[in-house]
Amino acid sequence: MTDALVLDRVTKRFGDFTAVDDLSLRIPSGSIYGFIGPNGAGKTTTIRMVMSIFYPDEGSIEVLGNDRSEAVKDRLGYLPEEKGLYKSMKVKEIVSYFGQLKGIGRRDADARAEDLLTRYGLGEWLDKKCQALSKGMGQKVQLLGTLIHDPELVILDEPFSGLDPVNMELMRETILDMKREGRTVIFSTHVMRQAEEICDRLMMIHKSKKVLDGTLAEIKSAEGKGIQIAYDGDARSVFEQLRNEQLVDRINDAGHECELFPAGDTDTQTILRRLVDAGVVIRKFDLSEISLHEIFVRKVGEDLIPEESSHAIAGGLSQGGTSA
Amino acid sequence: MIDRPTYLVARREFIENARTKTFWIGIISLPVIIAISIGISALLKEAKGEKTYLVLDRTEDQWVSQAIEETSIRGVVSVASELAAADPDSAETKEKQAELSRRVRERIASLAPDHPMRELIDRMQPLVEQSTEGGDGSLQALQAVRGLDDLPEETQSAFFEWMSSVSRDPEKQRQMKAFLADLSPTADKKFVRKSLADLGLENTPPEELTEALDQAVGRGDLFAYFLIPENALESKEGADYVSENVTDSDLRDWYESLVTDVLRNRRITDLNLTKAQAASLREGFDFTEISVTDSGERDEVDSSAKAASFAPIAFVYLLWIAIFTAANMLLTNTVEEKSNRLIEVLLSSVSPNQLMTGKVLGIGATGMTIILTWVATALLGVQFVGDGALAGIDLTAILADPLYLGSFVGYFLAGYLLYGAILVAMGSVCNSLKEAQNLMQPVMMLLLVPLIAMVFVVQEPNGTVAKILTYVPLYTPFLMMNRAGGPPPTWEYIVSTIVILVSLWFAFRAAAKVFRVGILMTGKPPKVREVLRWLRAPVGTVPVRPKTDS
Repeated sequence: MTDALVLDRVTKRFGDFTAVDDLSLRIPSGSIYGFIGPNGAGKTTTIRMVMSIFYPDEGSIEVLGNDRSEAVKDRLGYLPEEKGLYKSMKVKEIVSYFGQLKGIGRRDADARAEDLLTRYGLGEWLDKKCQALSKGMGQKVQLLGTLIHDPELVILDEPFSGLDPVNMELMRETILDMKREGRTVIFSTHVMRQAEEICDRLMMIHKSKKVLDGTLAEIKSAEGKGIQIAYDGDARSVFEQLRNEQLVDRINDAGHECELFPAGDTDTQTILRRLVDAGVVIRKFDLSEISLHEIFVRKVGEDLIPEESSHAIAGGLSQGGTSA
Repeated sequence: MIDRPTYLVARREFIENARTKTFWIGIISLPVIIAISIGISALLKEAKGEKTYLVLDRTEDQWVSQAIEETSIRGVVSVASELAAADPDSAETKEKQAELSRRVRERIASLAPDHPMRELIDRMQPLVEQSTEGGDGSLQALQAVRGLDDLPEETQSAFFEWMSSVSRDPEKQRQMKAFLADLSPTADKKFVRKSLADLGLENTPPEELTEALDQAVGRGDLFAYFLIPENALESKEGADYVSENVTDSDLRDWYESLVTDVLRNRRITDLNLTKAQAASLREGFDFTEISVTDSGERDEVDSSAKAASFAPIAFVYLLWIAIFTAANMLLTNTVEEKSNRLIEVLLSSVSPNQLMTGKVLGIGATGMTIILTWVATALLGVQFVGDGALAGIDLTAILADPLYLGSFVGYFLAGYLLYGAILVAMGSVCNSLKEAQNLMQPVMMLLLVPLIAMVFVVQEPNGTVAKILTYVPLYTPFLMMNRAGGPPPTWEYIVSTIVILVSLWFAFRAAAKVFRVGILMTGKPPKVREVLRWLRAPVGTVPVRPKTDS
């Protein structure tokens, strides 16, 4: 299988701040590839370099077999994190316009836009202005704008952010459709559930460095197992005891669902017994691979940067405060 | 430079702008303003109406005003005799005849019922009807009669009878003279001369006359009156023009020239000169305007030269308006793309340079459409209305000189592109329209300079101020158009073209760099120092903002 995208020791600095540090990556054609990592880890910067909006300071990037992504721009589809449309343009026009910018003839682009929009349930909106669209519809229109030219490689930056459950489901379906059609899809997210559900492979970047890379199975098997439980009742004190007695390493408690990670040689039966004895009603008790969320938390760990400052880097070069 | 993506961006900008109300308001504003002002000036002219005047001539036998009247009558007679002698079938004669008969009809229509002319018409009409068979008995029929000999005897005797009745009555004579004088081609029908009798002042004692006339003027019975002093030939003293509105000078100018002619003629006659000497004395003097081109070739100044001196100002204004309109569109547009987060999508398909160039060109095309519509309207207006301030300026003559027009178009486009590049770069660093407008202010101040300098430059196209400003790149296009009336020497054309090409190249490169960084940037607009750092940084690297900003 050929690689749709190859990054070789890519480094990008903004002044003193290194946004991406020595990143190497291979993304096989036809796969769905997830970029995960906390806000400000360097996902967007990496994507922008792939789209040649920024150029790397060091290292090389090969997109669809070409080391200059400008040369293959027409074969790429890109949905940036921050999405917008020309408010006064008609829905059909703007989708067609994006297609034309990618080299499709005007008549062909018009026909494709009409077809795509109708297929995705926006048939009635063809001749409406973009400002009349709801947020969800606007995002759909923009997504279709990135697909109109049949791109071989589609890059979606945080495609799920700001979507309601229905549209989130639709986005998921669309991404899976793309894979079925043989396209390579790269998307970034910081919501682990989504990555877990649809990614064939994923890469995690943290503090500008790659910390994980591989298929989901590879990544999970390297990290041991965990116990997922669903429960009712007050379990706080028993969780506390388990931790104090060092029977478990860590507990991710969500109130009615919880993930526990047994320490070294702890018997899972002991844990179950302790919980039942404490009066906790157990609805589910499942020993399996640990969740991606747990892996994420383990990797990011304590040095998870506070929200505000992480936002500052998210825009790449938006706010200056991060440089020092 | 213009590849497909650039074209697509330009096309989109053009279509989007062409859909806005602002665009259409822009297109129709000038023609509407012109139409309104033409309408208003026509209305004003109409409203002015006739001006009534009276001449109080204190010279002996009123010889001055008599002479004026006689001159006028001679004018009519000479026109009439010329017409009689001319080929009756030529188009020119027919036109002149029609003109004279129109004047006659107009005058007769406004005559008092007891006017001797009416008497004549009443007497002659039935006879003329008889004599000109098939004629309609109107004045045209009378005009067809080429002399008294053509008329039947009966008619002739009726005419002589009328003549003698008029010659016995001085008032009738006066009325007839006035009637004929009014027919003169030199008489302006806007001005109507009144007699003292018309105002009911014929019995006023001479010493109270001026006071009575002042009152008549004050009441509005009379627009103005002239007072010709007794010794007008020797002194201007006491020659008064009394009117309620002395700023409106057409009547005064017109009558002054008539009096001047009469006095001058009398002085010449008094010298007992030969005809030739008199003619030579009367001969005025004027200069023929000749303009010289760069290569020293001579050109007589005609309407195209008038247009040539008018065109520089028009083009400077047009460029100014074009930049001003485009500035707004460019800024609004770039800021919209930025705040709509469209930039990144666009940048995944087109390069920043293509996007920027496309914007400048697309919006330029919008502005140019508006301006071309204006120019076309102005040309049509001059061609078909040909009146008022634009009369006598043959704008199409500019079109006939491709080099002249070409230089204007060249400087115009260069000027637009230069400012377009600067403005689009400025728009790219702003996040809101408000910021953009703040940033616009200094640019607008800079743009005021060529407007202020315009007047001086037109007066002295090759003066020091003009020369210095020409080599300030921001002003080069304005100044070179402004100075075209000079015109500047050829070397200046060459050097200024080089200046402008170099600054265009530099502006576009710099703008592309600023645009590339600015367009993706959020937060406060950068300081000038920061922008200068962007300019030095290699393409694609993103200079980081100093911490102090946030």
